[in-house]
Amino acid sequence: MSTPAIASERLTKNYGKRQVVKDFTFRVNPGEVYALVGPNGAGKTTVIRLVSGLAFPSSGTVSILGKNPHLNPEVRRHLGAVVEAPAAFYPYLTGRANLELHATLAGGVASSRITEVLGLMELADAADRKVGVYSLGMRQRLGVAAAVLTRPDVLILDEPASGMDPLSLHLVHTVLREAAEEGTAVLLSTHHLDEVVAYCTRVAILEEGALIDEVNLFDRRERYRLRPTAMEQAVRLLDEAPFIKHVTVRGHELVFIPSSADTLGQVTQKLAEGGVGVLEMNRDVFDLRAYYRERVSAERARRTGVVEPPAVPSFPGEP
Amino acid sequence: MISVLLRMELSKLWRLTSVRVGLLLLVLFPILWSYAPGIFEVYGFFLVSGYQVPALSLLSSMQFLLPLLTAITAAELLGVEISNGTLPTVLLRPVTRPNWLAAKLVAAAVYPFLMLVVFLLASLLAGAQFGFGSFVGGTGLGEAGLLGTGSLSAGAALLELGRGYLLAALALVPIAMLAVMFTVIFMNAAGGALATLATLIIMQLLVVFPNLERFLLTTQLNAYSVPNAELSWVVALIALYGALFAAVAVILFERKDF
Repeated sequence: MSTPAIASERLTKNYGKRQVVKDFTFRVNPGEVYALVGPNGAGKTTVIRLVSGLAFPSSGTVSILGKNPHLNPEVRRHLGAVVEAPAAFYPYLTGRANLELHATLAGGVASSRITEVLGLMELADAADRKVGVYSLGMRQRLGVAAAVLTRPDVLILDEPASGMDPLSLHLVHTVLREAAEEGTAVLLSTHHLDEVVAYCTRVAILEEGALIDEVNLFDRRERYRLRPTAMEQAVRLLDEAPFIKHVTVRGHELVFIPSSADTLGQVTQKLAEGGVGVLEMNRDVFDLRAYYRERVSAERARRTGVVEPPAVPSFPGEP
Repeated sequence: MISVLLRMELSKLWRLTSVRVGLLLLVLFPILWSYAPGIFEVYGFFLVSGYQVPALSLLSSMQFLLPLLTAITAAELLGVEISNGTLPTVLLRPVTRPNWLAAKLVAAAVYPFLMLVVFLLASLLAGAQFGFGSFVGGTGLGEAGLLGTGSLSAGAALLELGRGYLLAALALVPIAMLAVMFTVIFMNAAGGALATLATLIIMQLLVVFPNLERFLLTTQLNAYSVPNAELSWVVALIALYGALFAAVAVILFERKDF
């Protein structure tokens, strides 16, 4: 197995008697976008700080590119991070001067790259203004610009989209997605669940410091649902089809993951050959918001013994 | 990397509010002395030379004003990074914590010297009305005090002032280290400065134990008046205090969660 870009093993953090992160194990591979979601106080920021080397674990291990960031500060040459929301800069320096300072601390970056990232985050016009007069959204964008400045192998961002308007949000997500496509591993915490579904590879749902679920969104994006005329027969036919990776039943619908989108035609053909009609077939858009609510509520019910009425229908039998 | 960090920290020093206000105070303060009408009533002498104003400035501020300004600035140097949120931002770059804090400690240690250079120059400027020639009396920072032992040349007077101000700056360095140490502990500039001042006040009260007095940090604030024969002991003690506080600050900072 190749070395993960970011990994933790049974990561635990206690503040006094309070355990804020409990046995958190995860890995992020190069090119993946891994999101931490969870209610306020779930431990997302603490995980971000533990992983980036700002806080020390009470037990467990953490590594960036195979190295412990606490023992190997030089590994941070490969790291770009924003851990404050809003991103923190020297208010008396201009946006460009702040990035120059980051470049110096990182060991030097060409000034053309500074201009490039300022342009990328649509801050070229504000580059020579003091950060003290920047809006919240501008600071956040400057934070992302600072994080991607050195073209790092690992990006760690705590609430990068906090306080942003929809256009800025889209801009940040585009930059992060492009970074991931170039092989950068991205770890972020967020409350923007809709955007998470759009470009994250996997999502960890945290509650009270513990990982309660990890959802592979890559598989979810490739998921389809159909309403067959004969359910049992349809399941049997698709179960044995080589171009189907997974089949499950959700109410009156059959949900499946094809080996590729090109094989969708073969699905209807296979069912027709087996005498099963298809009343409706669509891409199955994963409702992470509903799933998240259900998982967090279930976890709270398990912990407290108080069952909250489900806000949305559940999805039994899904992987 | 250390020289880069040091340059950064020294340039930040100028941006601090406490530095600007402190230096302004130190420029204005000597004017009080040079124009004060009641010096004879309080101290029993008349100013006869411009070289005596720096001594009055130093004598009247070394027990409170200068330690206060030192503690506030040293605490602010680190505290402002905490309140701005820039501390984690810097630590996420390939900079080791000890190196970064060492740069802060050096900048904090430089500040007393900067302060006293400004104070000395402002005091001399304020004393210009009394002239800078040879005079009968003392600067107030030599062994013979303000009354002196006869005529003092301008060169000898300047030498006395230079020695006194240098030792005073040196004596303030451990206070700067102490303030950084407390700011590391409390992660807050106000907490760091207050704890430093509280420590100094407690130390001043410890003079009721005569055997301890010689070893107290607050006793070393009078280093500017120490005869040459005792100088090595005083300097060694100041260095020991400074090194101890700096080392504790670095050790605590190394294991701190941010």
